[in-house]
Amino acid sequence: MDIDKLLYIDRRIIYLLVAIGALIPIIKPIGLPVVPTDPVQGLFDKVESLGPEDAVVISYDYGPSSEPELNPMSEAILRHCFTRRIRVMIMAIFPLGGVNMAIRQVEKIEAEFPGLVYGDDYVNLGYKDGGQAPMKAMAVSIEEVFPTDVEGTSTDGMPIVEEIRNYDDVALVISLATGIIGEWWADLVNAQFDVPVAVGCTAVSAPKYYAFFRSQQMIAVLGGLRGAAEYEELVKRKYPKIAATYEKPEQKVISATTGMDVQSIIHVIIIAFIVFGNIMFFASKKKGRG
Amino acid sequence: MRRTIPLVLTFVVGMYPVFAFFVPHNVISNMNQRLDTYLVIVAAFALPLGVVNLVGMNLSKIKQKKSGWPYSIVLLAGLAVMAYFGVVGVITGQYTGFHPTFEDLFEHMVSPLQATMFSLLAFYVASAAYRAFRARNVEATILLIAAIVVMLGRIPFGDMLTGGNMTPLSEWLMDKPNAAAQRGIIIGAALGAASMSIRVILGIETTYLGKGE
Amino acid sequence: MSRFYIFPALILLLAVPWSVYGQVEPGAPVGSLRAFDTPADDGTGVTLEWTGEGEFPIRVMRSTARLGDYQEVSEAFAFDGSYVDRSVDRGTEYFYRLEYVVGTDTLVTEAVGPVAAVGNWFRTYRVVTLVGTIVMFTLVIGFVSVARQGRELYIRKISGLNAINEAVGRATEMGKKIMYIPGILSLSEIQTIASLSILEHIAKLTAIYGTDIEVPNKDPLVFSAARETVKQAYLEAGKPDQFKEEMVTYITYDQFAYAASITAKMVREKPATNFLIGSFFAESLILAETGQAAGAIQVAGTADIPQLPFFVTTCDYTLLGEELYAASAYLSREPVLLGSIKAQDIAKVILMAIMGLGIVMLAFGSDYIRTILTTR
Repeated sequence: MDIDKLLYIDRRIIYLLVAIGALIPIIKPIGLPVVPTDPVQGLFDKVESLGPEDAVVISYDYGPSSEPELNPMSEAILRHCFTRRIRVMIMAIFPLGGVNMAIRQVEKIEAEFPGLVYGDDYVNLGYKDGGQAPMKAMAVSIEEVFPTDVEGTSTDGMPIVEEIRNYDDVALVISLATGIIGEWWADLVNAQFDVPVAVGCTAVSAPKYYAFFRSQQMIAVLGGLRGAAEYEELVKRKYPKIAATYEKPEQKVISATTGMDVQSIIHVIIIAFIVFGNIMFFASKKKGRG
Repeated sequence: MRRTIPLVLTFVVGMYPVFAFFVPHNVISNMNQRLDTYLVIVAAFALPLGVVNLVGMNLSKIKQKKSGWPYSIVLLAGLAVMAYFGVVGVITGQYTGFHPTFEDLFEHMVSPLQATMFSLLAFYVASAAYRAFRARNVEATILLIAAIVVMLGRIPFGDMLTGGNMTPLSEWLMDKPNAAAQRGIIIGAALGAASMSIRVILGIETTYLGKGE
Repeated sequence: MSRFYIFPALILLLAVPWSVYGQVEPGAPVGSLRAFDTPADDGTGVTLEWTGEGEFPIRVMRSTARLGDYQEVSEAFAFDGSYVDRSVDRGTEYFYRLEYVVGTDTLVTEAVGPVAAVGNWFRTYRVVTLVGTIVMFTLVIGFVSVARQGRELYIRKISGLNAINEAVGRATEMGKKIMYIPGILSLSEIQTIASLSILEHIAKLTAIYGTDIEVPNKDPLVFSAARETVKQAYLEAGKPDQFKEEMVTYITYDQFAYAASITAKMVREKPATNFLIGSFFAESLILAETGQAAGAIQVAGTADIPQLPFFVTTCDYTLLGEELYAASAYLSREPVLLGSIKAQDIAKVILMAIMGLGIVMLAFGSDYIRTILTTR
């Protein structure tokens, strides 16, 4: 056994095993249980405390590259809000695809809730350029920042925009963010205007956001696919109708829970490689000393 | 003079947002918002500069038949097609949102390509972890153990193997040592950024100007 | 006789109308309404405060005249105790009153006003931040002055920066190029400016040694600044004729298309040395791992915390956060720049002392330090 060769396995073998590991649970789902944690429970509890008289702003601050992690979060949150008939204002600040994500998500979920009225129960305000500038300006007037919705229709006269004028009328801001945009919401909107902020982020950003969560600048952090799976689990437990939606085959295959199966297998493969690599490392050290 | 004007401009434009942070009066805040808008405008005008360079470079590559020149044709064709449909959609105003072809190209080409590039991370994380997480010394061993705990804690297997203890342990690692370290690095980096910003504003740091005396 | 009827008439006059739609008596559910210009704002808010208990709704009514037509501006609950009206016109005087229903009666508080929203000149809740800013500026200016007087200032060894000469030398010996990636954000990001100062130093070295360098850019502003920086570096090194425009290129504004282009170059051209210095997001691992696979020596530097672990595991040297910002001072050894690093260190010591004091005070039940350090 050539230990030196095993110490540095060709990375293509690693890639092949990771690819196989990713495919298997998609073809044959395992259905591993997911345990919700505090950072995710915080958002669920907050949304549960809201009702038809409350409004939530959901900002789509991610692009296609983060779609696999953040779309499941978005769907679970939208279903939760729509089920509770919370009024939802959707917007986008991320320039490279944020508004496309918002359009597709809203189109998909609104079809499941035909009783909701666009312009009254929810509205898609579209993309606004300028990063933190529109976030600041929304403290004064949301209608001035978004004079038209995503389709170009004037927001003047829309009941939801007439009644939800600025942050004083908003109960919660949820930012589905890639990069640092989630931080902007916490640093600006929560710190300066006292609006509760929750962030759904990619797994790579989650460690940083824990610091914000613990210092209560964010009420919740949904980190990556795990965060999405936990939120899905919470809404499925509470709302059988939503659980039934997730049982449909076309929804199941793209749900975060199925994604967690993939992530679980891949994590196990990576851990196995790490353990194997260390065994070979110690073996080669022993061989060297011998 | 060539250096003085940019330095004065940097000082004024750099100090203004600092001033506006403390002064809420509308006279000050209106100008501050305008500065944000000016930045967007300047960046928008800089974009054609980059595109001109890109097009020029690739045209020269095609002309001189340098290595890889067919790909330059693909690049220029992609640029032209997306730009055409994007601009047509905006100018004609016939469509709500984007031109349908632009939307199709985005949804069926750009979006999957971006997702594919992002998904490479899964493979690269695996190979990087295999290579880097070796117990060479005490610190590396701690790193290795923490990585395994967090990886197991993020998946259901961890709880299944340890009777439900892995998630709380992983959460503790994220909440306490990780958050503490993150805060320390954030504070250090923020002070570094503040010091660097003051150097730029006061004209002590001038390398970004790129021009000699 | 007339005096006998005056007294009951007065009682009737007072009691009858007000009990239906009238003044709030002492002890009533909502009272003590006051309105004032919201402090420390830009003149877009009027704050109302009242005393009230109970979960019943109250309507906030506004008019431009005390006895004028009152319009509803919002609803609140009695227990809220306050409301900020942000729909006012700056400088216009308003009157406010609250209306609410108790049983079958609609009660109204006495109208208060006139009150006008005006812009204020200082955000009083940021006075601690102002003090911190003044301290920071003072420290930088102070230590720069000290440095200008010729006093030597110590700065610890930073391995990543010490390795730059070695990394450039390696590329020169191997006859291969250096790839310098200045991050993906624009010039408005301070990390990018720090990156350009390191680029200047490296470009001077490549000019002196005659090594090839390539600087692919994602942002058009950074592209033009980087080109000027490299050109200037070659000029200062006395080799202006060796500068070629193709050294600094613009790739694309899309994050992953940029990453794809650079990784493809790394695989094809196999640069000897990669510098990944600036602000990065998810593409950091793709770039660094591909560079590692291509056999390059890699020096990375970023203040984007989530990307640091990827660089630490794949690169030979990594500049962590503030080390990146110290680079220009460290490489040039200019006393003035070193002075600012010293100031930053002193500021950190002061902050650590305050935090330590805050932890001790918190342990004894006082969160005074935490409260004053909270910035809105």
